[in-house]
Amino acid sequence: MNSLVLLNGSPRGERSNSMKMLARVAEGWVRGGGQEPEVLHLAHRIGFARAVKAFAQADTVILAMPLYTDSMPALVKSYIEALQPRTAVAEGENPALGFLVQSGFPEASHSRPLERYLQKLARRFGSLYVGTIVRGGGESLQMMPDRANEKLWKQLRTLGEQLAHDGCFGAEELRAVAGIERMSALTLALARLVVNLPIMQFYWNGMLKKNGAWELRFAAPYAPAAKL
Amino acid sequence: MRISILNGDPDPSTAFQVYVHDFAQRLSASGHAVTTLDLREFNLKGCSGCWGCWVKTPGECAKRDDSATVCRAAITADLLLLASPLTMGFTTALLKRAADQMIPLIHPYFVVEDGEIHHRARYAKYPKLGLLLGAGGDCDAEDCEITTEMWRRMARDLKSQLVFAAVSDRSAQEVADEFARVA
Repeated sequence: MNSLVLLNGSPRGERSNSMKMLARVAEGWVRGGGQEPEVLHLAHRIGFARAVKAFAQADTVILAMPLYTDSMPALVKSYIEALQPRTAVAEGENPALGFLVQSGFPEASHSRPLERYLQKLARRFGSLYVGTIVRGGGESLQMMPDRANEKLWKQLRTLGEQLAHDGCFGAEELRAVAGIERMSALTLALARLVVNLPIMQFYWNGMLKKNGAWELRFAAPYAPAAKL
Repeated sequence: MRISILNGDPDPSTAFQVYVHDFAQRLSASGHAVTTLDLREFNLKGCSGCWGCWVKTPGECAKRDDSATVCRAAITADLLLLASPLTMGFTTALLKRAADQMIPLIHPYFVVEDGEIHHRARYAKYPKLGLLLGAGGDCDAEDCEITTEMWRRMARDLKSQLVFAAVSDRSAQEVADEFARVA
């Protein structure tokens, strides 16, 4: 039976949205007959070091990350740089490689250039590319109870199960889990109307008020004269 | 023009270091006010996704490090030039660490821009972005293209646009001449 290593590349570590999603992929993998995967958090020094070693030992690696400024977080890029010696090993010596990219934006389009980079990265290692799970709206996972996301969890378990059975994620399931690729003209028109409604800002406003920072919410400390 | 250069090469002994500083001198000689930040000399702890810069200390990272210097250099410039060798097909983790810690420059509220949801501006004016990539290593033209596309999107996140992208496979003077034409 193939071994699976799940790498959580979120700087938030265990409490991250990336980990919440990765955990469901793991459930599907086990349900599909795979052995319990090893889970490592790059945000921890020990987890990072172990992840460099695990890459050389695993049959399959899934690297999950949040989208930071429309690319990978610096933490993930550090990990990729640490793996540079693995580009020199013989063909077939590196694990099959897949990815999970989740972002706070609702559309998958924000993550596509990174997906292209990750696909090339798999080629750089001579690895079998098993696919990239792209999902928008990730920050909402922090706001909503787990039971409200059951449809997403089911999609992710299915992808994990496919990985165990077929050795890769299904193309149709990847399209489905991505949700909105880009908003239609009608949806955009609606979004322009609702984006300024208080309900759209309640998450941020609630935290600003809780932290006593509400009055400072439009602060522009590095160019005070240019404040909006 | 006020130009801030973020040099993301972690190795002080490379040819790219020499190239970046040579390029900066040529920009200065053309009359620009150039500030070069060698990021390897800065204490940047990296973004931990805590959102403190949006909901606790709006506009500022709560970490005690040098990210405020980077943010100030970025937002007060007319053009922010991101310089980095390509490693494993992308700009360095060092440059990315600085970029991740620039999110205090935008606001958490959402807006619709360019047909997508984005974050709202915090400042009235943002610098234009430029990209200077170090050639060589194991990276090819496709890597340059992918990297440029990702930074083009990063520019959009920063309420800006990528107006210049070049690779250090030409002389610094040639690249400076191109910069003068397009930036």
